[in-house]
Amino acid sequence: MHSLIQLSIVVLLLPLLSFVILIFFNRKLPRRGDFVGVGILGTAFAISLFIFWQVVVQAYDPAFRIAWDFTWMDLGNVPGVGPLQIKMGVVIDNLTSIMLAMVTLISLLVHLYSTGYMAGDKNYGRYFAFLGIFTFSMLGIVLSDNLFSIYIFWELVGLSSYLLIGFFFEKQSAADAQKKAFLANRVGDIGMWLGILILYSQFHTFSFAEIYANLAAGKFGLSNAWLTAAGILLFMGCVGKSAQFPLHVWLPDAMEGPTPVSALIHAATMVAAGVYFVARIFVLLTPDALHVIAFIGAFTAFMAATIAITQHDIKRVLAYSTVSQLGYMVLGLGVGAYSAALFHLVTHAFFKACLFLGSGAIIHAMHHEQDMRWMGGLRKNMPWTFATFTLATLALAGLPLTSGFLSKDAILAGAIGFANVEGGGIFYLIPVLGFFSAMLTAFYMGRQIWLVFFGESRTHLKPVVEDTHAGHHAHASHDAHSDDHHAEHGVHEVSWNMRAPLVILAALSVFFVYSPDPLDGGKGWFMKMIPTPPTVVGAANPQKGSLLAGVIAPQLAEIPAPAAHGQAPAVAGEHGATAAAASHSEAKGGHSYSDPRQAEVVHAGHAAHYTAIYISSIMVVLGLSLALIVYVFRIIDPDKTALAIRPLYLFSLNKWYWDEIYDATFIKGSMVVARLLTWFDIHIVDGIVNGVATLVRKFAFLNNSFDKHVVDGAVNFTAFTVNTTGAVLRKLQTGKVQSYVVMLLVLVFGYFVFYMTQLIH
Amino acid sequence: MEQLTTIGLNHYLTISAFLLGFGLFAVVTRKNAIVILMGVELILNAANINFLAFSKYNGGMQGAMFSLFIIVIAAAEAAIALAIVINIFKIFKSVDVSSIDSLKE
Repeated sequence: MHSLIQLSIVVLLLPLLSFVILIFFNRKLPRRGDFVGVGILGTAFAISLFIFWQVVVQAYDPAFRIAWDFTWMDLGNVPGVGPLQIKMGVVIDNLTSIMLAMVTLISLLVHLYSTGYMAGDKNYGRYFAFLGIFTFSMLGIVLSDNLFSIYIFWELVGLSSYLLIGFFFEKQSAADAQKKAFLANRVGDIGMWLGILILYSQFHTFSFAEIYANLAAGKFGLSNAWLTAAGILLFMGCVGKSAQFPLHVWLPDAMEGPTPVSALIHAATMVAAGVYFVARIFVLLTPDALHVIAFIGAFTAFMAATIAITQHDIKRVLAYSTVSQLGYMVLGLGVGAYSAALFHLVTHAFFKACLFLGSGAIIHAMHHEQDMRWMGGLRKNMPWTFATFTLATLALAGLPLTSGFLSKDAILAGAIGFANVEGGGIFYLIPVLGFFSAMLTAFYMGRQIWLVFFGESRTHLKPVVEDTHAGHHAHASHDAHSDDHHAEHGVHEVSWNMRAPLVILAALSVFFVYSPDPLDGGKGWFMKMIPTPPTVVGAANPQKGSLLAGVIAPQLAEIPAPAAHGQAPAVAGEHGATAAAASHSEAKGGHSYSDPRQAEVVHAGHAAHYTAIYISSIMVVLGLSLALIVYVFRIIDPDKTALAIRPLYLFSLNKWYWDEIYDATFIKGSMVVARLLTWFDIHIVDGIVNGVATLVRKFAFLNNSFDKHVVDGAVNFTAFTVNTTGAVLRKLQTGKVQSYVVMLLVLVFGYFVFYMTQLIH
Repeated sequence: MEQLTTIGLNHYLTISAFLLGFGLFAVVTRKNAIVILMGVELILNAANINFLAFSKYNGGMQGAMFSLFIIVIAAAEAAIALAIVINIFKIFKSVDVSSIDSLKE
């Protein structure tokens, strides 16, 4: 076993150790054992950093990959399935080691931050235990080398997310939110499991590497539609976990959990697990499946951004922003901008964690006030939070010189390139939605910054009624000094253990961490280390090619498949130049794509790089200046505008009415189905059971009377006969000698008569 | 007529049969144990008459000898029987055979 593998297993198990220690012994330890969690995560992060150093910095090889597995369960020859072996394994490549370092770093910072944020909570120790099990599960997803174990850890993160969303379970809204999150994830996970089963039915293995090798060898026995279905079903897991439309509804509600949890789970790591998973299965996705993914991502990005602009709750704005950014990542994967999507995953994890922790600091300082309408002017009181929050906001908005700019532009460039290659008008919707969402992102983040940090404090404007309504969890302990005056003198900068994570995360949102060129992420180590992997589906089955591609892009059909390395023939029409350029870059960059479509998409993404930069910069500036105009200079009054476009405003404020729609359809629908089933249960199932019971009862009744009359009758009759005979015979035995003598005489006389008659004859 | 006037074997046998009948009747119907013993004596003597009658008309002495034995035995029997009756009286305070039915148990 490679030493890095051993170390990665240690990293995986350390948070589990933290969980075990804290869940059982937190009451026996000083400070409820928070130092155990922080210390163990610190160790795990140090080891992860070492792995990262060894793999990404020392080896510096895009193709670096080491794997190790063992047979976990050998079920032998299962009837109807064949030999069934379930393996567990670890794979370390560049993506894994980056994710490992990212997850442990954010988890460590959140642990540290929570020692301040959660101080005084009555379940303080259990909170850290839950963080431990979450980190364990998340690392499990990152390290898994097969679908089966990734599914196990997938469900485990679902569980820990459930536990942490409902951490303040006394609150009804938190309990509802955790239920909602769990159920929405279940829907996605069912699809994911079906997808896994489709692949397993064909290849009898769960291992990524073996499945891809088999696919590349063209051993998929079903039609391509099945492969597309498998890809989309697997993607459903991502739809649930990464809160994509139509299962996005749980993530905003998940903000009921403690804010550091929102930062760790619902912004940086777990929701990114969906994207990570799609990246892991990226090579088996057919063009049709990728189209579905791209459209869902683009729609999610746009929809969530439109909702975010009207929300009042500081965490809800960030939650919808997270949904929107996850939409970007999914969009990126869908259009084939694999590196860019994962790049955005990592950069987003850092700046969004920073934003959430910053909002946590604000909420903490404001004594659990979350409504931005009653904030304002915090810039002076909380300079550190202000600075880091602003930096992260700029990264999220995608302003040049930030990490978000690099990754978002790479995705948008990929989207433009994709649309160019596909050539259909509808495909231009994807980059258009992407750019429009970029503008909205800049707008709502500008709005948030201004509402929270600038202007004058509006605490006193808060209606008194709202105060009782917004009765918050940990409020009870603070009530005495928070009800009358959460005036500014109560608002102060948070302590060092909450400040340090903010600074570190903000520092990781700057461009030079990832790329030397502030305008091009492609020149950085990240994009170089995580190249788009060559697909295993298109090239292997050229005759089965994509249905959709065949219809909308007949030009692609003219490419003689599969193109050999560095010899992609020129394509007729407008794509000739790009294809030729693609073969050129293949020769130069060393990435070879045997699938011509993929080669073209990857190249077109590079070609669209500067176009994307220009458009998105304009969009970001547009969005920010709109926010300035509306909220700083007040040229357009936001309230009047809202009144003027009231239907649209309400549409956005009420989150496109998705909750109401789901309530009216799925929830009401399942209630109707449940009621039908109840009726069926009561009348049909119970009826059958009762009918059988009645029959049995009737039969028992018959049986009883048979027993009573026939069997008992026979017994009683025998007894009666014996009794009667006895009674008769008893009379003969009188005990009187004389009667015996009479009997003797009678018998002798009888014998005499008998003898005489014999004699006469 | 001659048969009626001349006393022959049949007369003896008839008397014997009557004696046997009276004896049996006494044994079966009387309640007093002593009277039953008397019935038994009648039965024995009916047998004696039979023996003697047959002895006379058969020309031998065996019948006479036999009836002598019977007389002796009857004496012994009477002694034993009376002893039994005395014991019964001691136990049951009665010699009424109808009240003595412990054989039933």
